[in-house]
Amino acid sequence: MSKITVAGVRTNVQELLQYSLETKKRNFLETVELQIGLKNYDPQRDKRFSGTVRLPVVPRPNMSICILGDQHDIDRAKHGGVDAMSSDDLKKLNKNKKLIKKLARKYDAFVASDTLIKQIPRLLGPGLSKAGKFPTPVSHNEDLSAKINEVKSTIKFQLKKVLCMGVAVGNVDMTEDQLISNIMLAINYLVSLLKKGWQNVGSLTIKASMSPPKRLY
Amino acid sequence: MGKKRVGALEKVDADLANLQYKIRRDPKSYSEDFLNQYGQYQSQRDIFLASPSTATSTGIVSFRDLIDFVAHVADCFPADTASFPSDLKTILTLHHAELESELREKIVGSLVLLRRKEVIDSAELLNTLFPILVQTPSKTLRTLLFQKILSDLRTSNSKHINHKLNKTIQTALFNLLTSDRASAKGIWAVKITRELWKRQIWTDSKAVEIMKEAALADNEKVIGGGVRFFLGGDKEREEMEDDSSDDDAPDVGKMKHQIGINKKSRKSKQKLEEAVKKVKKTEKKKNQPHPLNFSALHLLHDPQGFAETLFSKHLQNSKSKLNLEQKLLVLQLVSRLVGLHKLTVISLYSYFIKYLTPRQPSVTSFLASLAQATHNLVPPDALEPLVQKIANEFVSEASAAEVASAGLNAIREICVRQPLAMSDTLLQDLVMYRKSKDKGTMMAAKGLLSLYREVGADLLKKRDRGKTATMGLKAGSIKERRFGEEEVGGIEGLELLEQWKADERKRKRVEKGLPEELGTDEEEADSEDEEEKGWENWDAESDASSDSGGWINVDSDDEIEISDSEDDKPAAKKVKLDKAASADAPDEEKENKDKGLEQKISTLATTKILTPADLAKLQELRLEASLNKAANKPSSSSRAARLKALTEKHADDGLTAEDIELAAKLRKTTKEERVALAREGKGERGEHKSTQAIRRAKKDSEGKTEDIELAAKLRKTTKEERVALAREGKGERGEHKSTQAIRRAKKDSEGKSTTNREKARKKNFFSPGLGLTQAKKSEHTRQVKKLMYSGGPTKFWKIQR
Repeated sequence: MSKITVAGVRTNVQELLQYSLETKKRNFLETVELQIGLKNYDPQRDKRFSGTVRLPVVPRPNMSICILGDQHDIDRAKHGGVDAMSSDDLKKLNKNKKLIKKLARKYDAFVASDTLIKQIPRLLGPGLSKAGKFPTPVSHNEDLSAKINEVKSTIKFQLKKVLCMGVAVGNVDMTEDQLISNIMLAINYLVSLLKKGWQNVGSLTIKASMSPPKRLY
Repeated sequence: MGKKRVGALEKVDADLANLQYKIRRDPKSYSEDFLNQYGQYQSQRDIFLASPSTATSTGIVSFRDLIDFVAHVADCFPADTASFPSDLKTILTLHHAELESELREKIVGSLVLLRRKEVIDSAELLNTLFPILVQTPSKTLRTLLFQKILSDLRTSNSKHINHKLNKTIQTALFNLLTSDRASAKGIWAVKITRELWKRQIWTDSKAVEIMKEAALADNEKVIGGGVRFFLGGDKEREEMEDDSSDDDAPDVGKMKHQIGINKKSRKSKQKLEEAVKKVKKTEKKKNQPHPLNFSALHLLHDPQGFAETLFSKHLQNSKSKLNLEQKLLVLQLVSRLVGLHKLTVISLYSYFIKYLTPRQPSVTSFLASLAQATHNLVPPDALEPLVQKIANEFVSEASAAEVASAGLNAIREICVRQPLAMSDTLLQDLVMYRKSKDKGTMMAAKGLLSLYREVGADLLKKRDRGKTATMGLKAGSIKERRFGEEEVGGIEGLELLEQWKADERKRKRVEKGLPEELGTDEEEADSEDEEEKGWENWDAESDASSDSGGWINVDSDDEIEISDSEDDKPAAKKVKLDKAASADAPDEEKENKDKGLEQKISTLATTKILTPADLAKLQELRLEASLNKAANKPSSSSRAARLKALTEKHADDGLTAEDIELAAKLRKTTKEERVALAREGKGERGEHKSTQAIRRAKKDSEGKTEDIELAAKLRKTTKEERVALAREGKGERGEHKSTQAIRRAKKDSEGKSTTNREKARKKNFFSPGLGLTQAKKSEHTRQVKKLMYSGGPTKFWKIQR
């Protein structure tokens, strides 16, 4: 495929939604993923890129988040119905690698209050950053739920040891237009990150959790 | 008649080479002769095996010839010589220590030959040679084996990657390293892996694991090899690649022209053909997809664990036997890993504290390592004492200029990576040095100031903040960076592109004589049109194929007016689909606002795909904007980008001591220093030294000056000293020399080149070629050449050193 067009994306999204909402509806909320294959990319010369971008619509509303905070933030978290842990709870983990790993696996993202976050490396060691889930800071005068929303809608492009990657850009409950705007923004951001723009993009595919892949580019 | 035949037979007997030639041409008819010889070989072998150490020299020679012969024709009689390879292997493995060297070489060569003739396979060969390489005390045998092993691995990987073989060898190397960590044998694993990595034969994580084990070994040499590999192996590989791609292709055009003019001959024609072939080959190579070469540091399986063990084993451990230089290497690697992978090794930072004094040898390397180990997830309270200590020890009015500037540079490098490591009183104090008289110190302080204007203006005094930062603080657009915060990226300069597009559209409308404002429908169509144009010409081939489709034009009237005839075919189809979409666009915008997003997400990015042309324009606009900004007003996004670029650069390339000392070179030299430098070169006038020796000495002294301790040198000399020094320089005046001799010596000492004649004259004194006859001389040079070209390993040795 030589070109990617808005219309092409639209038809693909329509087909995808059709499949997962009507043809084969699953018993869970399917996530829509954007899969990217790069080409002509020399990971050693062109430095490895990574970037985060905020999507207009939260792609995964069911993401589980944990607040690591002082008393004030814990109270706020409880009010909002979010899991929370205090520094004493963290100390109880006792730097036990297994427990920390378990904690990191249990949640998709962490938010920590300003006062606590500086101690996180000392309290928890490398466990969280190893899992790529180092907490985002939140201060007392910020709206916690807005912060959580922000964390949820932020996606990260990161190249690991292979030249392909995938990011969640939406779910099948979103409207067609929401999904399209998320996908477009993700694609545009990715392309702007690449050194040679579209010449570095080998393929773009969207796929819901259980659907056949749809190739965009 | 009968006598004649017997004579002929004897001749065949004696002349193995002749027989070999005949057998190769017609194996069947000479099989009897071969079996005869093979029988002889077997008996010789038995004799030899009975007492390998007491064999006579003639016996050895004939045995060697027989082995050579059999190896050459073994592929013609596979059934008869089935046991031959295993014979050789057992002889080599059991008796390699006591074998006569030429015989040993012959056996190795024969085994390699058998491998080339595919009588045995690579794995078998390497499994035989490798243990001997590790065991043997003989240096010549080691170099030979090393060379053979490498070349065999290369040939067996040349056509396609031989995964199976690589895997077995890698496992063998891995086991060699892990089985006995204290032994020096592991160096061979390091050497082989390094060489193959350099040649891009091994590029996988398994090779990296081998080196990781090497770096964690107990033997200093092995550790050094492993650590150096991580620090420099990738650069080496890149250089190698550049070298190989540099061999310039012949100029075909020129050759063709020459053929047209010169006398036509078959040779020149052939040459041309060859050249064309070569050019085509290189072209093909260029177009091939890039091999996936990740750097070794990225391929590590568990960087955190590696860094931790490396640190605790070689640096923290008081029993470690490494000397300072080796420790520095390890420290460099650890800090590189920490910085690159953003690891958390908190004890590393407190380790640095005792080394941060100006008197510490090669302190700049320590400073560079410290800065390298800093990243944005390091807790600031771990760094603060270090920054404080650097400031106290290095940066003061009393300390020498180099010392102060190195300290300031180091602090800046740390703070680029973790701005929170700085306190306001300290920063304000350090920034004062921008008024220093020394250029290096001044520039370092200014660097620190400009850094903090961007990342933390509120730490600076009000008058130091600068206009833009003050305004930013007031407007609230500059927020304090918090620990652990990740910057959310956007598409840089997108708003500029949007603006530009809107302007462009208006301009077009005006040109066409249409009203400036248009309905959404039309606008959508228009943008589609532009999008099509944007994709043009970026990939000529694919475009051509898609354009030949021949769509039927079904546009509505208003679109025909605005679209160019060449690209309206595909656009027409899309427009229909997009009409529905265009209606939704405003809704979307509203939704965005409803969600109360702090950051305005551009509609352009969410509704259109940026075409290559758009991206190019984006780049252009971005550049323009940054130029404008340099003139007056700043845009926060580009500044963030610059900052990001700065830190990115730091994360990926390691930091070296030179970066810290950088400013020292900028500084104006004082008169004393210049005098000292000039004297330095001429000091040795009395004694004669080769240019090379002088150069080496100079380099050594320079190496030392790189350390910051040269502060002592800077100190103003007293008058007495100067007088003494001046007298010293002229001390040799008494002895008489011819002007020519003096000139020559001067030239020599300054490291200037000599004429060929001079070289020849000088050479005569030492040259072993003196007194040889012409024939012998040429023989000698030939041998030297042969030696020079003979091998990779010599080259490799040099690199190792």
